[in-house]
Amino acid sequence: MANLLSLVDINKIYGKKVQTHVLKNINLEYEKAEFTSIIGQSGSGKSTLLNILGSLDRPTSGRVYAEGKDLTTLNDDALAIFRNQMMGFIFQFHYLLPEFSALENVLIPHWLDRGSAQAEKVTLAKELLERVGVSERMNNRSTDLSGGQQQRVAIARALINRPKIILADEPTGNLDSESATQVNGLMREINQEFKTTFIIVTHDNHIAAQCDRVVEIKDGMIVQDYPTAEKTKQENWENLAPCYCLQKEGLVEWKQSN
Amino acid sequence: MFIWKAALRFLIEGRSQTLFIAVGIAIGISVLVFLNILITGLQQDLVNTTVGDSPHIVVTSREDPLQSLFNPEDDILILSRSGGMFDTSRPFNDWQYVMDQLGNRELLSAISPVAEGSGFISRGEKTVSIRARGVDLNRADGIYNVRDRLIDGDFVVGKNQVLVGIGLAEELDLTPGDLIRLSALEGNGGEPGPANPSIAGSYSVRGIFDLGSQAVNSSWVFISLEGGQSLYRLSDGVTSLELQLNDVFQAEELARNLEKSYPSLSWSSWEEENPDLLSALSSQSISSYVIQAFVLLAVALGISSVLAVSVMQKSKQIGILKALGISTAGVSRIFLIQGALLGLIGSILGSVIGGFLLWGFFTFTADETGEPLFPITFDPLVFIMAIAIATLAGMGAAAIPARRAAKLNTIEVIKNG
Ligand SMILES: Nc1ncnc2c1ncn2[C@@H]1O[C@H](COP(=O)(O)OP(=O)(O)O)[C@@H](O)[C@H]1O
Ligand SMILES: [Mg+2]
Repeated sequence: MANLLSLVDINKIYGKKVQTHVLKNINLEYEKAEFTSIIGQSGSGKSTLLNILGSLDRPTSGRVYAEGKDLTTLNDDALAIFRNQMMGFIFQFHYLLPEFSALENVLIPHWLDRGSAQAEKVTLAKELLERVGVSERMNNRSTDLSGGQQQRVAIARALINRPKIILADEPTGNLDSESATQVNGLMREINQEFKTTFIIVTHDNHIAAQCDRVVEIKDGMIVQDYPTAEKTKQENWENLAPCYCLQKEGLVEWKQSN
Repeated sequence: MFIWKAALRFLIEGRSQTLFIAVGIAIGISVLVFLNILITGLQQDLVNTTVGDSPHIVVTSREDPLQSLFNPEDDILILSRSGGMFDTSRPFNDWQYVMDQLGNRELLSAISPVAEGSGFISRGEKTVSIRARGVDLNRADGIYNVRDRLIDGDFVVGKNQVLVGIGLAEELDLTPGDLIRLSALEGNGGEPGPANPSIAGSYSVRGIFDLGSQAVNSSWVFISLEGGQSLYRLSDGVTSLELQLNDVFQAEELARNLEKSYPSLSWSSWEEENPDLLSALSSQSISSYVIQAFVLLAVALGISSVLAVSVMQKSKQIGILKALGISTAGVSRIFLIQGALLGLIGSILGSVIGGFLLWGFFTFTADETGEPLFPITFDPLVFIMAIAIATLAGMGAAAIPARRAAKLNTIEVIKNG
């Protein structure tokens, strides 16, 4: 059985005259039901990596496989269909469509798949909204919701087509700590309940410490890729938490790993 | 369909922008509808006053006049070629059959056989050249509307009883009951009167008509069909059949169709006979179409630029939809539908405004009796066409913005929060 998602020798270079080599020979594999994070400094290439994993962007070289299928050979429309059925996205800036209600926003991936809504999917959408705690406001325009509520609606939207993988780019980056805790808890619950693979880009080491696996990237290269269970609590604390605390207090710029 | 829903929501969300352009389209389309109906009405009126009381198609025999002129037994006929009296030499003998055949055509409102030729009327010392038209008066009335325009005397013709035009009556000082001498200019093309006693005779004037045209009033003389036939030695033949149609503008097409069915006859429509009128009409139509085309172009450009702005405004939404799996064609369609909807809504509104403009125009330009300047018809086809064209133009105008939207890069949009 092939990996759920794997990257082989991925390079990403921006620009023609002035070239920025953002990702350098990345090799990565993800399995079903993994709950993982990608950490690294701002500008290290996390978002670029996630977008390539999510087939939103194409690598300059290398291959992306999903369940053994080479995504780099597909055209844009085929990728769109693939994303619609396989992937759920949660972005830092929630990105709900302001023209639609919360419920409608949740249904959009399903509409794009089927053209119109099936009754059971409407029921599912309502259940998901219940689950993320926004059901009383499901008929409100998304712009009438708070930041935390919007991000939770985005999580429900990411789930509506029952994707195998959910990609989240700093999902709590714009939220207060209480909302962030809620959103994190929610993602974990969904991972356990639906066996959905999560790949969460974050520079919040608290979140990383709660993941099963941490991939750390620096200057476009993977510098660490380890299951948190392998390390002791102490090691994880030293690797991830202190730096977060110190950084918060402005004592260090960023943790120097290795 | 999500795509329709998205198109509608995008339009509704851009309230003032949508309203603004819809009103713009409406104004454009109202001008289009107004102009179209006005010009059509104007042209119809012009044509009706010009050819309304005259035949729309004249059927004559195609038989080459020269052949009948080259009658070896009669040298005189050959001489007459230069006299230009061809019409009397082209007898149309199977007219009764053709008339029966045409009789059941719904397009035709009147058919009138005519046995006519040139001639002279003399009274006392005065001689005037005329056109003697032998007709079945009731049938001719269907075309020329003589009965209503008879200003003196009775609506009667006979073998020796005539109706004359008012111009002629004034010139010869005729009143009903007067006797005149009428001679056909036939054959020798020469002097009327005693020189050719067989084709001249004494007639009584029964009535005087005014057909509104100076040329007609000063030259036409109606006699009975039999009178015309014997005057011009046509025996049972006539010189032409005159047809009138319910719709003048179908004359040319009908003439060409009938020509195919009856190739031995010549079918000439009023359009052929009035090239000046026709070219006036067509240049009027062309200038009206040019104006309409530019109005439509302005409408299309308006739609196009509004949608181009909308693509910019909605770029975040487009990026998200693409991330969520919309096809490039789907993105295009959202904007094509918006263009079509703008065209549709704007043109429906425009049709209503155009209708009011026409109503206003004809109400305010009406004379004291409330009669409009000229009659117009609110042809629903004009409105349907305007709406259809505007909708298509809207969709066409959306093509460039739609392409731009489809090409938007998801990553760029998502990254720049
Ligand atoms: N379109 C682009 N053109 C040129 N450079 C880019 C582009 N997108 C990203 N980069 C560069 O790639 C690097 C990685 O960016 P990104 O993946 O967004 O980092 P992260 O998400 O870790 O902050 C940055 O140095 C950024 O300036
Ligand atoms: Mg980033």
